[in-house]
Amino acid sequence: MADPFSGDSVRKKSDFVAEVVNHTLHDLVIRCTKTEEVRNYYYVSVIGYGRVVGTCFSGPLSARSMVPIAEVADYPLQVKSSYKRVSDGAGGWVEIPVRYPVWIHPTADGKTPMCEALAKVKTILEQWLGEHPRGFPPTILHLTDGESSDGDPNEIGRQIMSLGTDDGTVLLFNCHISSRRSAKIEYPIDDGSLPDGFARSLFDISSRLPGNFLAAAAQLGVNALDGSRGFVFNGDPSSIVQFYEIGTSLTGMTPYRWMDDRTELA
Amino acid sequence: MSSAKQSASWELQLRQLLLPKLGQEASECEDVIAVDTKTCRFAIADGATEAFAARDWAERLAQHWVENEAKLTPEDFREWVVAEGRELQDSWKSLTLSWYAEEKASVGSFAAFVAVELDLMTDSPSWKAIALGDACLLHCRRGSLLKSLPLSHSESFNSAPMLVASDSCLHDTSMPALVIDAGSCQNGDVLLLMSDAAASWCLQRFENGGFDVEKFLVTNGDEELNRFFDEERLAGRIRNDDLAILCLCLCG
Repeated sequence: MADPFSGDSVRKKSDFVAEVVNHTLHDLVIRCTKTEEVRNYYYVSVIGYGRVVGTCFSGPLSARSMVPIAEVADYPLQVKSSYKRVSDGAGGWVEIPVRYPVWIHPTADGKTPMCEALAKVKTILEQWLGEHPRGFPPTILHLTDGESSDGDPNEIGRQIMSLGTDDGTVLLFNCHISSRRSAKIEYPIDDGSLPDGFARSLFDISSRLPGNFLAAAAQLGVNALDGSRGFVFNGDPSSIVQFYEIGTSLTGMTPYRWMDDRTELA
Repeated sequence: MSSAKQSASWELQLRQLLLPKLGQEASECEDVIAVDTKTCRFAIADGATEAFAARDWAERLAQHWVENEAKLTPEDFREWVVAEGRELQDSWKSLTLSWYAEEKASVGSFAAFVAVELDLMTDSPSWKAIALGDACLLHCRRGSLLKSLPLSHSESFNSAPMLVASDSCLHDTSMPALVIDAGSCQNGDVLLLMSDAAASWCLQRFENGGFDVEKFLVTNGDEELNRFFDEERLAGRIRNDDLAILCLCLCG
């Protein structure tokens, strides 16, 4: 994650991923905002892994593995001032001031203890599902830039996918990103085009995209079909953005197009 | 069912049904029904759930429309919405908002809107209607659907309809979707104003046939109807949304 993407000599992958995660949290908060109140339609956990495995939240949320979205809204680490481009209603654009909150900072160190991280996710899920057995099942958006350094994640991935609510099993989606100029593979139906055992292992522990996720993919122009897995291999920056937009598209709303925004001040 | 004598010749019977989403309180309902039997104007507005102050906007649109006159041409309607939107958004300026509420408020509020004005002062009563969004007017006669607007098929409903925006910057985009129409009524006709989930259900019933929607809505008691719509939503046959239905039955 400390390396840049291929063709991008400046920006570290970890910086980009942190930005996408912050925008995703921002998007979820805005979706849940009704006038001056944030409804707890989501609970959120952000787990990072490298030198250590644990929650990426810090500040007032640091000791929390699963946080209701209203509390996420109230405790960003900082709020950046920026501008957002919107239609002026007459065919042009105007820029309006907005504020973007930051919850997590980029980190890139250590190895890739994927099995330990997924075990941590399983523990958090088991506790949460014990308290919330009904409703739409949790969605795990797992992003990695390398092979697991502590074994094959297949077994722990399958254990996570066997958990669920009265509405279905947990959805586990995996996105592998790469610095290499290799061809990316997005939302495949089968593992025929995958290059190696690591890719096939991640494919095996990737859930099929349910209908509303497929609809979100279609809105973004992503070629996902009935039977497609929530899986990306050798993804690039746009893959990451789309992966998070598709993976958080439960409300049926048009995905929030934050890539059009222009951030000016830190 | 309440009734109001509108002229020497015509009486109007009214039934209102307003239900919040299953599991929510009545105070959370963002559908609004407005009735003014003096002006013979009736409206339903459905505040967009994701919008800032959606219920306030819906209430303002529906209530102010029925209390006043005109606004039945595209120009008048647009001018009126601009003024109402400005007043609404001005009322937010004194609020101290969190970053998320501020961002939500910056794009304004949105609502679907349908309204009808009846002229019952003649032997040949008539209606004029105006609608923008997916709240609908259905004109029924003896169990048949004569007209439905702005949408006329159950499959026309989607999750992103064009709505009445409080921010006038968006009106060039939204106002072309405004629908204005008129029709004549007969004794026994029923006009139904409905928010989207109810309208979609109702149109589907007409499309499928074999179910007299108009009679069902007029003859059943409030409790039966409330129970029926709760069960339909629980079974997923009607989307779990706020429901607003206003039945206007014309009696000679």
